[in-house]
Amino acid sequence: MRAPVSRRFVRLLAALGLAGALLLPALAAPARAADEKLVLRAGTDQKIKSLNPYAAVVVAEYEAFTLNYDLLVNFGENNEPVPGFAASWTQSADGNTWTFKIQPGLKWSDGKAATSEDARWTYQTMLDAVAKEVTLVSGYLDGYLPAAGVTSVTAPDPETLVVTTEFPSTLVLYVYAPILPKHVWEKVPFDDIASGAYTNPPPVVGTGPYQAVETKEGNFTRFMKNPNWRGSALGADEVILTTFASSDTMVQALRNGEIDYARGIAPDQFNSLKGQPNIVAVEGASNGYTELAFNCYSRNGGVIEGGGASTKALQDPAFRDALGYAIDKEELVAKTLAGYGEPGSTIVPPFHARWHVPPASPRTFDIEKAKSLLDVAGYKLDAGGKRLDKEGKPITLRLTWPDSEAENGTDAQFIAAWFEPLGIKVDASVTEEGQLIDQLLPPEGEGKAQFDMFIWGWVGDPDPNSLLKFFLAAEIGVSSDSFYENPKYDELYDAQRKESDEAKRRELLTQMQELIYVEAPYHVLYYDSQLDAYRTDRFTNWKNQPAANGTPLFGQGSFGYWGLQAVAVATPTPAVTAAPAPSGEPTPAPSSSGGSGTGGGDSTPLLVGILVAVLVVAGIVLALVFRRRQAGGEEE
Amino acid sequence: MPPAPRGSPPAHGATVRSRYFLRQVAQAILTVAFIVLVNFVLFRMMPGSPERILLGRNPNVSAEALQQTKERWGLDKPLIPDQFVSYVVATVQGDLGFSFVYRGKPVTQVLAERVGPTLLLFGLGELIAIFIGLAIGAYSGWRRGGPVDYVGNGISLILYSMPYFLIGMGLLVIFATALGWFPTYGMVTPGATYDSVGEHAADILAHLALPLATVAIGLIGQYSILMRASVIETMNDDYITTARAKGLTGGRILRHHALPNAMLPAVTLIAVNLGYVVAGAITAEKVFNWPGLGTLTVEALEARDFPVLQGVFLLLSISVVAANLVADLIYGVLDPRVRT
Amino acid sequence: MTAPVLTSGELRRQRLALRARGWRDFLHRFGRRREGLVGVAILVLYTILAIAPALFVGPLETAVTATGGRLQPPGTAHILGTDELGRDMLNLTVHGTRISMIIGFLATLVTVSVGVVLGIISGFVGGRTDILLMRITDFFLVLPTFVLALVLTPIIRDVLGGGGEILGIRISLLVIVVAIGITSWASTARIIRSQTLSLRERAFVDRARVIGGGPLHTMWHHILPNVINLIVANAVLVFAGAVLTETALSYLGLGDPFQPSWGQILNAADQAGAPGLGAWWYLVPAGASIVLVVLAFTLVGGALDDVLSPRRTGRR
Repeated sequence: MRAPVSRRFVRLLAALGLAGALLLPALAAPARAADEKLVLRAGTDQKIKSLNPYAAVVVAEYEAFTLNYDLLVNFGENNEPVPGFAASWTQSADGNTWTFKIQPGLKWSDGKAATSEDARWTYQTMLDAVAKEVTLVSGYLDGYLPAAGVTSVTAPDPETLVVTTEFPSTLVLYVYAPILPKHVWEKVPFDDIASGAYTNPPPVVGTGPYQAVETKEGNFTRFMKNPNWRGSALGADEVILTTFASSDTMVQALRNGEIDYARGIAPDQFNSLKGQPNIVAVEGASNGYTELAFNCYSRNGGVIEGGGASTKALQDPAFRDALGYAIDKEELVAKTLAGYGEPGSTIVPPFHARWHVPPASPRTFDIEKAKSLLDVAGYKLDAGGKRLDKEGKPITLRLTWPDSEAENGTDAQFIAAWFEPLGIKVDASVTEEGQLIDQLLPPEGEGKAQFDMFIWGWVGDPDPNSLLKFFLAAEIGVSSDSFYENPKYDELYDAQRKESDEAKRRELLTQMQELIYVEAPYHVLYYDSQLDAYRTDRFTNWKNQPAANGTPLFGQGSFGYWGLQAVAVATPTPAVTAAPAPSGEPTPAPSSSGGSGTGGGDSTPLLVGILVAVLVVAGIVLALVFRRRQAGGEEE
Repeated sequence: MPPAPRGSPPAHGATVRSRYFLRQVAQAILTVAFIVLVNFVLFRMMPGSPERILLGRNPNVSAEALQQTKERWGLDKPLIPDQFVSYVVATVQGDLGFSFVYRGKPVTQVLAERVGPTLLLFGLGELIAIFIGLAIGAYSGWRRGGPVDYVGNGISLILYSMPYFLIGMGLLVIFATALGWFPTYGMVTPGATYDSVGEHAADILAHLALPLATVAIGLIGQYSILMRASVIETMNDDYITTARAKGLTGGRILRHHALPNAMLPAVTLIAVNLGYVVAGAITAEKVFNWPGLGTLTVEALEARDFPVLQGVFLLLSISVVAANLVADLIYGVLDPRVRT
Repeated sequence: MTAPVLTSGELRRQRLALRARGWRDFLHRFGRRREGLVGVAILVLYTILAIAPALFVGPLETAVTATGGRLQPPGTAHILGTDELGRDMLNLTVHGTRISMIIGFLATLVTVSVGVVLGIISGFVGGRTDILLMRITDFFLVLPTFVLALVLTPIIRDVLGGGGEILGIRISLLVIVVAIGITSWASTARIIRSQTLSLRERAFVDRARVIGGGPLHTMWHHILPNVINLIVANAVLVFAGAVLTETALSYLGLGDPFQPSWGQILNAADQAGAPGLGAWWYLVPAGASIVLVVLAFTLVGGALDDVLSPRRTGRR
């Protein structure tokens, strides 16, 4: 007897095959017109959540407004001030007045003339916000004008902008805030700008090389060439910044030719890309570092109810200094970073070539020395080999790091192993990032500072000023997470902020770096390099920013995009390593199809359409199968 | 109230059933409300505050910015009653608020953009899994002990034991890395423009292939196992023996008696699973960076984006509860013991 | 026919003999199910590895004690290759067995205990207690276990604190145990409740009540022994689910790199970019172990269900 079920099965398969055949036309690779548009695709693991520049928090969002707009003074190839919205500038004799000349004939991307009134309006809006004590969305851009001591701005004529400061400061040339088109933004209620309700939806109007024309927040943002761009011809017609969930898929996309640039890849991926044809792996010096931080809270004797450090030893610079000799920074760079980084020293990274000053007497990795220094400082071993603090308690230090920085866990393993022969037990565990932020807050920030040590990192600005803030007494409860307090440091900070003479400022910064190195509220573990990679078979003339040790894109200016040139126009070939796609499947095309097709837009109706279509087909299939069964009893 | 004996038909058909139905609906609404309110509290119990998480780790952060952001989001008011009441009032009016992470974007818009992809992925995945799984299961159960049973059941069990992301990673390595047949991430080629709807659909389908395969493969197991057990059990039932005694052939019995009854638990399972479609397999979406509700939930949890979380869980509980309700209904309608 | 009068000693002996025969019967029937035996064999193997991993591969390798090069494929020195820190994969996977199995075991303990207790009480006592408990159960049933666990884990970790160890298991892992326990007990409770409801109607329970045993006595001596079968079969499946949930939670980053479970190993593999780099040896040992263990539980659970469930009396 023939099994009836197998027949039914076969019929079902046949029906499904029929359905598949009906769908095939949709799957057929569409004929693509020859490309006139050249698109530069860059990948990052960060999201662009809003195009309002005041909402910018992460590098990708800064990159977005750097493409859209000019700053008054842009950052050049070595992060030095270069013409941006302003073509030139002079400082008055007393140093408190800056006169800027706006670029002649400058136009917004929508054709309207760009004048000093736009700059004045933008700066005035920011000053108003400070005066009203209203934060502009994320508040990251708010501080630049006050830091430079700007008190007022005027526009005596359409080509001139006058900025007045209360003390002479070069920081006026480092204001990292874009100049916005007054004719667009003045229509928006101030409250909406400040709260972030205004998202600056595309199409954006700006004077930068590319303006955003489409955005899917958290997914990708598409920029088009500024038709009124003031510089020389731009190589790419469009730029797309795409967000990837993991560096793994991003590297895959780079290999397949789906993207041209990948920012932030893991060391092992970096190694695998080196030497690949048409791919350049670039290691950039980082404007930041990873540190081992201590809970140095000393107010109220260091006592915090329900929290605080587990031992008073952490408040003692001699204790912290001794521990520094038990950290092998070279080993950390070799093992955690696979060599892609520099052993850490002072809080101003070598990236800032003009300001970084190595310590006078750097520490070495010497466990014996660490032990003897601890003894000398008054922390003796007990009979059982445990190190005791001055209160007679054995020292056990909790060590934690955020789950978003997996490599810090590797550092923690090493540190725990190195502190052990000192007689200090290290209790290491990872903490979820949101929770850790909470745990690090002191009473001044409504928290309990429940930690002893943690490993995290910072990223800086073109000017080292922002990296110096974490050790100010006023920042305890805000950005200071070690709660270090030293009036001398605060003095030096105020002085350097107002110092416009470079040599004098450098002298002040030297003292500050030395002070922090010796007293060690942080042990800077390493300066982790920025690892990027890009393809050379579609674009050429990639320039690093800074030239000596930077990366081409995601720096502090947009000229990494200016100089790019097309290698070859017309339909590019995909995939270096992937096998050719079987017919019927659309190849993952690196560039968009030609012509003015409809943008991706909102796919929901389309998705629903696809689902309904499939359901209908499925229904037909089912009906066919069932009907055939019932019609005329078959028989076996 | 004495517990109703299981499986007995309602006394007077329609009126009793509709009353029962109404009561079920009322209970469902209560359940959803309870869940949503408890979740409201639960999210705010999570350590870490949203404004610190969003703004915290930048040297330019200021105390004023943190405080103002907190106020803008209404987080400076006491949890109960202020925040609670305003939440309930707003939700009942259909206002789900604005996302913290995507400043200025309404939660309804965020959800709308993510529901489609998840529905597509899981809807299709379920469909495929149901077809293939039920077929394999039915045949395995019918031909119990035979080679097809061993192979089919074996594969089903293995697939049932594999977590989604393992299947996903495996497919990724084979089909995307090694063979390069499919794109590895996302739903569309970023920033692509299309000349026709067909092209757009084709792009989506190409990106859909691997995640769909992952989900389908992951789901086949449970349907297959369930169907097999169901068929086996039905084959042992009395009325089958009766049918056989009456002289009906195997094929007839399978199609007209065994299968329809074995379908019952399967239908229930299908309806229940469809409720979870909205949840998405978080890990499956994560492997391929499929822009659905799963990835949204994880991001929102990490960022403590309360409005989005509240919206997602509202959607989730409604769909699960509704699906359960439907499953109950279907069971009530389809159960042959009830029908006779 | 009247029952013979027995002394209490003889009664006890008779009961023991019956139970022994019951066991023999059970083992005999279980033994005839090949899949069940395969499952048991796999579980025995992994349990042995879990109890004393150091016996087989030495102490857990750390970043400091790692001996190999970065991401080395399997070779003579390291049969399963190394990870990005040079640690031996075999070493990591075997030690991961202990963590995964212990978490699974503890989570199952919590889940089943809570589920059984609440299920029996709810089914037996009935009335308003039942309705209240069912509401609560509904809440936990409606929300997918996994999503709820994601929400609860940071809260639990906040309550329990981060560092420290209990019985050699780090607190950070116990957090996962509690999270899984809290989110999974609901379906066990439902199942046990149903069974309790039908048992409650049976004659012997009425008789017990007539004789004068209190509710606790009845629940303990009469209901519980009759749901044991169900509990065991359910527990086995809960264990499998717990392993899968823990794996998924670790994959999303909630695991502990200092005591890596299989899920944590897979997470680390993902972070290092192993799938894209073709470092299959980083994925396969942990992945295969997960599948094998869960499969084993499913097989055993299915076989147990077959043997213990009264309905499956059809001819094989």
